[in-house]
Amino acid sequence: MARAREVPGFDCEEPFAAAAARVVEVRAAEVFAHSEGVLDLEEIERLHDMRVATRRLRAALEVFDSCFPHKRHRKALKRVKELADALGERRDCDVAIEFLSGLEAETPRDDRAGLAALVERLRAEQREANEALAPYVKPKRLKKLRRRLRKLVKAAKR
Amino acid sequence: MKARQVEGLDPAAPLRPNAARLVRVRLDELRSFAPIALEPPASKTQHEMRIAAKRLRYVLEIVGPCFGPEADAARDAAKRLQSVLGEIHDCDAMLPRAWGIESLRERLRARREQLFGEFSELWREQADGGTWVELERSLDRHTFSLQSGESGGDKEIE
Repeated sequence: MARAREVPGFDCEEPFAAAAARVVEVRAAEVFAHSEGVLDLEEIERLHDMRVATRRLRAALEVFDSCFPHKRHRKALKRVKELADALGERRDCDVAIEFLSGLEAETPRDDRAGLAALVERLRAEQREANEALAPYVKPKRLKKLRRRLRKLVKAAKR
Repeated sequence: MKARQVEGLDPAAPLRPNAARLVRVRLDELRSFAPIALEPPASKTQHEMRIAAKRLRYVLEIVGPCFGPEADAARDAAKRLQSVLGEIHDCDAMLPRAWGIESLRERLRARREQLFGEFSELWREQADGGTWVELERSLDRHTFSLQSGESGGDKEIE
């Protein structure tokens, strides 16, 4: 999992709203930096990194919600939550498949077919979750989200 | 589960006192779930406590630098709680899906029992070790020094 980037100039004595702008700016940049290749089912850690970055951004938006114009903040948070949920759905499948696949060898013969069927169902759900995620990580959509977040940061700096 | 509202946040005021308000509410929220969550079958409350631990962890990830090493210790403690409660939740979520795969159900039940033991011990350890009390003291110390016109930081109340 990627470590959170330092927030340059972070200062506990500066106004809450100024800190909000700094933190959200850095956390937003992290999300977009991890958006490459997240739909690749062979490299599940890529999605994990983007999910972690998205949850950090979401947390920052929630912590600093009083620092942003209400309507603009609500819309941005909604978009970030939608992205986080779509990433989360895929991640849940990735983790469950990994866990169950590791049990195959030690599973009694009688249960092996049941286990294989469960893994197969999860793989189908993983593909569905990936398809549902795809529109959220399209470059155009991410660009729009980036612009929205940039405006939000600008508003907090005022 | 909706997060508790944090009253009195002021975007124009310094980050530190605002952050202290946020951390206090999230800490209270976490503690409020403990009495019920410490009953083994209370899966719903354990899940809610996991979310509360997650919220406390995230706010401390952002504003921890304002409250010294006690905040780092509390952040790590919240992360451990979130992790063990998350694994309990994974067992609870997987159990109904494993219908008919007896060895897997058996494994999940045993794992849950073991994780619940770890959770109870961890919570006791954190409470007895003063993790949460130390965090509260640090919040008081840092906000008191600000109110009394000092520059904040690590000054102790004498």
